[in-house]
Amino acid sequence: MFKNSRRTFLKQSFLSTAVLVMAGDKLFGAITPLETLVVVQEDLFPHAKELSSNASAYISLILNHSRVSDRDKAFIRNGVQWLNEEAILQYKKLYTQLSPVNRQNILHTVSNEKWGERWLYTLLTYTMEAMLGDPIYGINKNESGWKWLHHTAGIPRPTKAFL
Amino acid sequence: MMYDICIIGSGAGGAPIAYELSRAGYKVVVLEKGKNYKEEDFTKDELAVSRRDMFTPLLKEEQHVINERNADGSYTRHVGSEVNWSFWNGSMVGGSSNLMSGFFHRMKPNDFRLKSVYGKIEGANVVDWPISYEDLEPYYTKVEKVVGISGNVTKHKYAEPRSTPNFPHAALEENRVTKWFDGACGNLGFSSLQTPRAILPHAALQRNGCSYSNFCGSYGCATGAKGSARAALLQKCDAKIITEAFVYKLESDASRITKAHYYDKEFNPQTIEAKIFVVAAQAIETSRLLLNSKNRYFPRGLANNYGQVGKNLLFSAGGVGQGRFRYEGLDENQQKELMQAGLFFNRSLQDWYEYEENGKKIKGGTIDFLFEHANIIPRVSKEFYNDENKLIWGRELQEKIHKNITTARVLTFEVFNDWLPTEYCYVSVDDEVKDKFHMPVGVIHLWGHPHDLEVGEKLAKKASEVLKEMGAKEIFYSVSSAPPPNLVAGGCRFGEDEKTSVLDSNCKAHALENLYVTDGSFMPTGGSVPYTWTIYANAFRVADKIISRLANYS
Repeated sequence: MFKNSRRTFLKQSFLSTAVLVMAGDKLFGAITPLETLVVVQEDLFPHAKELSSNASAYISLILNHSRVSDRDKAFIRNGVQWLNEEAILQYKKLYTQLSPVNRQNILHTVSNEKWGERWLYTLLTYTMEAMLGDPIYGINKNESGWKWLHHTAGIPRPTKAFL
Repeated sequence: MMYDICIIGSGAGGAPIAYELSRAGYKVVVLEKGKNYKEEDFTKDELAVSRRDMFTPLLKEEQHVINERNADGSYTRHVGSEVNWSFWNGSMVGGSSNLMSGFFHRMKPNDFRLKSVYGKIEGANVVDWPISYEDLEPYYTKVEKVVGISGNVTKHKYAEPRSTPNFPHAALEENRVTKWFDGACGNLGFSSLQTPRAILPHAALQRNGCSYSNFCGSYGCATGAKGSARAALLQKCDAKIITEAFVYKLESDASRITKAHYYDKEFNPQTIEAKIFVVAAQAIETSRLLLNSKNRYFPRGLANNYGQVGKNLLFSAGGVGQGRFRYEGLDENQQKELMQAGLFFNRSLQDWYEYEENGKKIKGGTIDFLFEHANIIPRVSKEFYNDENKLIWGRELQEKIHKNITTARVLTFEVFNDWLPTEYCYVSVDDEVKDKFHMPVGVIHLWGHPHDLEVGEKLAKKASEVLKEMGAKEIFYSVSSAPPPNLVAGGCRFGEDEKTSVLDSNCKAHALENLYVTDGSFMPTGGSVPYTWTIYANAFRVADKIISRLANYS
């Protein structure tokens, strides 16, 4: 039991442990990565939610995946911090507290930064994975992503998720 | 127990030895570092296979160091796990042949005498092979029969001589767009070739035929139609295969290998004794094993008396290109033909396998054409940028994806030309980075000769002409010295002179009585075709040599 609880804690901690956001050299606030990531994903590709892709649950899965490197996970987490720091710099608010228009402005600003372009590209890619991967992963509900793009999956389909 | 043969690696280089020797009654053991996947394990799970790379090692556990040579002669060192640069292809029984596309072309007679026919190229270590096409031809034919190759032989200017009139199996079913291709080639005066494939169109050789799943390259074959070393050879012989067995060292005395040391899946050290050892761990890892096996008799590494192990590493030079066919301008029937999924686009061009420039004969290469891979995630990811090369998202991206995926299709091409062997492209072992077995990892010293790019450029332009004639839009190509990890050879070249080669003409190490190397490492030059058929054929040839030797031995 202890081992299971501990493992569960470790699995959840990456996305639920708060990221500290600085305004200059002062602490502005704290936010969990998942809160920001869910909103950014919807801002980047709202159609994923319309297709019931379950992209926000997928980001939790992928960031605890044995085959996603620690470096890549850390980059996602760092990006949450840097995005929020940009939001504070421009609007004195965390990203999730901004209006949709202002959130888009922040996305455009960071997309011109090298890290920001790579971070947004990475999140878009994971959103596409959630939308177009096999439903065995709890995503792409009713194969809605495949239907949207008239895509025929290869056969045989997987019978268990590879995690 | 003393085996007759111990083979390290179960891919296209090792499996023919296991198949032939075990069927000849010899005791054969194969040490394979990967797992034993079977047909029922090969699903089309894009996330597992292509996104999470389930068939290759985790880079933080096993990796390479890449030492890239810059234009000014300096080097940039990359640690594979830090930059996510992988040179692994497929760790499993049957090796990466499970995941190949199976575009099978023979090398041509002039490929065996590159230096004699085309002359010396400054900065390249081009040599002739110690064997000729005629020596290998019976074994190319054997592969057609035993592994199973389908298609129709097309006569053309650079067609190689054959001892049989045609392939043993009929061509796979083709997409109708191949007719557009044939028409365009006819208009341009090019010879459209039907690409031979190591895929069975029907049940044969105790295997099922192709199911036309539309997901072939990069995926294991669920029917057994693909001629992987596992499906075509290993499952038809009784060679003992020990899986999850990582060979970290070969032990030797002054003239013979005496033991293979390996870690089993529980990380316990084990040993195997055999009369003959065959290394076929794929080019880079074979050189690494020999270098990591240095001892008092071979202080620079096994068979490395003249510093040749790891040298003259080859990839395949060339590049890739594509054109997009859009619904606009096509009638309803053509639109249906374009979107037919599952059927193959088996077309190649070899019109410029050789050409003349400024009165000089130049070695060219092969161009294979194929529809863009069916994997949907990279296809949509390619749409993330607009024409100004700016990242886009939201409704703009949504509309672009939908239009380009549902009302258009991309036809791609791959150029294969010689990656010239040079002194700057080779394998060594690292002084600092070790793998999970505490063994020094391989270092890939990387450099592509500028001549490779000139040839690649010439061929890519010709391929683009065909796409244009077919009516494709948005045509572009990329020719570079980026090494394709799945097209690797060299490092233990064979030759007559022990000072300039590692292996003799039978692929036995000059310096050791009972060590053979039968993966692509033996190749001194690579030809201008994918390597797998030649690796298979040569391994069958070496198997015959070993059988003759063992027969005399007893």
